[in-house]
Amino acid sequence: MRIGLDEESPWRLRDAGPAVLVWAAAAVAMAWLDGRIDLVNLAMLLVLASALASLWLPGALSAAIGLLAVVAFNWYFVPPRRTFSVDLRQDALLLAAMVAVTTVVSALMGGLRTQARRAQRHARRAEQLREWGETLRDAADPLAQAGQLRDALAGLAGVEVALLLVKDRLPERDDEGAATRVGNADSDQSAGLWHCLRQGEPMGPGTARHAELPDWYLPMRGRGVSLGAAVLRGQGTDATQDPLLRAHAQALCDQMGQALQRTLMRRDEQRARDEAQSQAVRNALLAAISHDFRTPLATIMGAASSLAEQGARLDPQQRQRLATSIVDEAAQLSRLTDNTLQLARLDSPGVALRCDWESAEELVGTVLRHARRHDPARRVRARLEPGLPLLWCDALLLSQLLDNLVDNALKYSPAEAPVEVLVRRQGEQAVLAVRDRGPGIAPAWRERVFEVFRRGELGPHESSDAAPAARARAGAGVGLAVCRAIARAHGGELRLRPRGHGGCSFECVLPLREQPPQPPAEDASA
Amino acid sequence: MTMRVLLVEDDAELRRTLRDALALEGYEMLTAASLSEGLALAANAALDLVVLDLGLPDGDGESLLAALRRRESLPVLVISARQAEGQKIRLLDAGADDYLVKPFGVGELLARMRVALRHRGTRVSAALTVYRRGAVQIDLATQRVRRDGEPVHLTPTEFKLLARLVRNAGQVVTHRQLLADVWGAEFVEHTQYLRLYMGQLRAKLEADPAEPRLLLTDPGVGYRLAEPDEDPAAPLMPS
Repeated sequence: MRIGLDEESPWRLRDAGPAVLVWAAAAVAMAWLDGRIDLVNLAMLLVLASALASLWLPGALSAAIGLLAVVAFNWYFVPPRRTFSVDLRQDALLLAAMVAVTTVVSALMGGLRTQARRAQRHARRAEQLREWGETLRDAADPLAQAGQLRDALAGLAGVEVALLLVKDRLPERDDEGAATRVGNADSDQSAGLWHCLRQGEPMGPGTARHAELPDWYLPMRGRGVSLGAAVLRGQGTDATQDPLLRAHAQALCDQMGQALQRTLMRRDEQRARDEAQSQAVRNALLAAISHDFRTPLATIMGAASSLAEQGARLDPQQRQRLATSIVDEAAQLSRLTDNTLQLARLDSPGVALRCDWESAEELVGTVLRHARRHDPARRVRARLEPGLPLLWCDALLLSQLLDNLVDNALKYSPAEAPVEVLVRRQGEQAVLAVRDRGPGIAPAWRERVFEVFRRGELGPHESSDAAPAARARAGAGVGLAVCRAIARAHGGELRLRPRGHGGCSFECVLPLREQPPQPPAEDASA
Repeated sequence: MTMRVLLVEDDAELRRTLRDALALEGYEMLTAASLSEGLALAANAALDLVVLDLGLPDGDGESLLAALRRRESLPVLVISARQAEGQKIRLLDAGADDYLVKPFGVGELLARMRVALRHRGTRVSAALTVYRRGAVQIDLATQRVRRDGEPVHLTPTEFKLLARLVRNAGQVVTHRQLLADVWGAEFVEHTQYLRLYMGQLRAKLEADPAEPRLLLTDPGVGYRLAEPDEDPAAPLMPS
């Protein structure tokens, strides 16, 4: 909706058309009637024409033309003709009366018209305020309506307008970055805008502050604070003509100020809610993570203290077994620490990935080597589509993702069941899937396994046969959460899909980029 | 002859554990808790190997590496935390021999030390010229590569890349080092070249290219040719 006010246009020469016609008709009529009726009646015709013409002419112009007409009347019609001399006894009174009537009628008409115009303007401005209020109320972001405010003010005063609006909170110091600028303002005007905004008082001609300034500065006031300011450039002379103009412009600005303040308050509320929520998430995360850490720590503590206190009485085999379990659990703790740190890192804003062109084949090869080292007996297979494009990714993060998924698949599927790593291209994406033949995951848990703090909480509606598997999966803790965070940090996604004959498939989808230039081909062989 | 090893590590517990473990393997151990202490020891004692932790309180290890590199060809193993990724790669590019990520097992450390000591001196004297592991045999002098006894045809670039890895067999070679040595200094950012050529080499040399045993990847760091088989017939150690 446009809020532009149709301010009445100034009187122009072409508006005088009807008045010219009236005067012309009167002149013709008087010339024709000359000699047929007496002078007084002719004079009445002139007074009538003057009154009619003043309907279309501004008061002063109408009076002037009336006077001129009386002088011309004296020249043509009043004897002695073709002279300005007047028979004092007879015609002086007539001419004087004509002048007086013409002037009075013109003044009356002018005054009436001015009043009517003022009333109209008043109504239009009231309507404009109402529409502007509605626009702001409906707008999600009042800043987006700043252009409209500028246009409305410019249309109102007929001058150039520049606005300064604070984007969020009022900054400590004048900071262009914290504000939105609409329209052009020089450095003096910029300083004036900030000053006006901070003072919360209008400045410029006719105001109590800095009346010597050539421009008007109007604050956008909310309750107790201003969140913007407008400068109406060169508003020095017109101010006197329309005393209500500034009040109206100020009202428009204040509406904007109030809208900005409402938005600010809404944003503050949202922020407080978010903060409370993220605090709750953090607490749940810490609880879940410390639970994950406690299990391997308990094993290490048990084994190590046994070695320390009973070492001499244990046989070499027992000692070896305890030492091995300390090493294994320490490795588990190390992986857990990596995952937790990575999750925290990826969670922080503006995290920088160390991306490079990576080959999916190499990443999978590394992951398989790790898996073999942990669990040499298991069947882990890789299947890669030939001719796969290179991935633009952080190699360490992506191998961490695949490591976690393979580790998870091995942990939660029977020892004889194969685990597969598949990589294929799907349009403009690469899909890296890790598939197992484990017990699968209950539908209710398919999203929740990715939420680190959900571990172990089973709803009452979950069937008893699916629950143990789900509970076991939930033990993955941070593992799957960090996998998803890694996929998302690369602009991709990690999903879980159930497989046809049991088991599940974790699929990481990564967007593909335009491939880098390859080295020139070689033909000769060494 | 006893090898003398300098261990620079600020954590007292880990320092003691590693010192004892390495001493048990027959190394003569010098330990330092800070960079300055390490620098002083390195200046005054003849050393065979340095194990350098990156998270030291008085510096980032680059100064020590530079001081060691100025004097002699002394193998340096870098120990880093997982977060110190960038620093680790900088030190490798600057000439450190290999790295270990904390936490690591003593077995891993010993294996890395063995490789580093075996390469000791290859920068000044004749390098390893014949590499043999499993079915693959690479002879740098004659530029012949065989797999299962059959000759394998490599392009000149493939061979250059393979030869660069053979010269540091068992040790990581960073992307930057490989690109600079094979393609030239202006190509050090073209990691995609490596992906292509390593893929080609794996296709020609590995039994299962999807699960390499020979041409190993260190994600985000570089490549590593698996340690050669212990073979008394091959002149692995420069005399």
